[in-house]
Order: sequence, then structure tokens, then C-alpha cells
Amino acid sequence: MSYKVNEEGNIATVHLDGEIDMDVTEKAKEVIFPHIDAGKEVHLNLSNVQYMDSSGISVLIESHQKALEKNTKVIIKDVSKSVLKVIMMAKLEQILNLE
Amino acid sequence: MSETAHLDHSEKKAFLVNSSSLKEVRNFCREVFEKLQIQQELKDELVLAIAEAAQNIVKHAFKNSADVNELMVVEISCENNKLQIAFYDRGTPVDPKKVKHREIDNVKPGGLGTFFIQEIMDAVEFKDGNKPWINHLVLTKQL
Repeated sequence: MSYKVNEEGNIATVHLDGEIDMDVTEKAKEVIFPHIDAGKEVHLNLSNVQYMDSSGISVLIESHQKALEKNTKVIIKDVSKSVLKVIMMAKLEQILNLE
Repeated sequence: MSETAHLDHSEKKAFLVNSSSLKEVRNFCREVFEKLQIQQELKDELVLAIAEAAQNIVKHAFKNSADVNELMVVEISCENNKLQIAFYDRGTPVDPKKVKHREIDNVKPGGLGTFFIQEIMDAVEFKDGNKPWINHLVLTKQL
């Protein structure tokens, strides 16, 4: 997994690239969580993520819940069809902020 | 169930039990499913189910093990359009009664892997592991 972060004002846009599995979840958290802890709105762009397993879904849930605690939000953008299917299988499409 | 007749075929491969093997497990499955001419959407689902089962071996069967040389074997067989995926490992014996997913409405991190496996596959069965194996998990799906 590789990543790129753009910050503009109070918005941090995190682009993840590759396959998100148990092997990379700690790295994904290290990239995403500091922005949430800083109270930023995080835009998580998943257009280049073609595979995500339950570990990746856990990162999305944890990010969402952490953001609520910090009175901010995580918006998941440009989800690929294959990842959307996993999100829907987990019945999270109404819980997570998807755009 | 698909109307396509899939080739009878069987392949197995051993992987080191660690999280960095999960990508290799997925790639192995994708290659075999390509040979079986399984359509993309179903292939993605099956790869997810297999990767989740392999992840459970890494996370649970070997959670107290520091031995990085342990192997798990994944065997994919297709016969008469019935797909069977077998996993063999020598980790802590699994008690099938304790294998359950979290309540799906109780949203929290974790506990989804087993749910995905059950959603995707027709049957999930723990069998007795013949020596040298301790755990033998079999997932099946009618194609």
C-alpha cells in the first residue's frame, strides 16, 4: 500500500493506493489517525484501492468512530465497485460517510 | 449458481503463516480461478473468503506462536462445478463452537472475517486434521 496526503485548510485528503489487508492496516492507521486526532476533516480517497478485507473495513469503522469522538468526520470518496461491495456486505453503507 | 461449466481442476500451495503471505494467498487464488474461468465478481468474493480464512489462521491459530517457519496449505479443487477450498495448519486447535462473528448491527472494528466467509460460501466445516496437520477447514460453494 502506498499513500499520498494533501492538506488544505481543515481538510486532509488521504489517497490510499493498493490492497488493504491485515498486513498494512497499522500503516493505514498511522497515516489517517493523526489527522483525525488533530481535529481535521479527513477525505479518504479509495479510487486506487481495488481490494479491501475485514481488516481494512475495521480501519474505516475505527476512523469513523474516532472522528465522531473528535467532532469531525471522515468522508470516504471514489470507492471502487469491488470495495463498495465489501462495505455493503458489512452493511456499513448507511453508517460510513460515502461520496 | 452459474450456468457455466467449470473445468475440473485441483491445485495446492503452502504459505508461511504470517500477514505478509496474505497477498500471495490472494494471488494464488486469482491464478487458479482464472484457470477455472470463474467470472470476475464471483472471483472477487471467493478471493475475499479465502483470504479471510487464511487471515484467521495467522491471527488466531498462531497468535501465541513466534515460529515464523510454520506453514499453512491452501488447496483449491473443483469437481462437477463444486468448488472446495481446504486449509491445513498446525496452530492451536480450533473449537468450531467458538468461531462466530460479531452481531452485524453492533458496529465496531473486528469480527467481520467469519461473517464474510459465511456470507460468500455455501458451507464452512472444520474437519479433523490428519497428521501432521492440526486444523483442517473446508469451504465449499456450488458454482
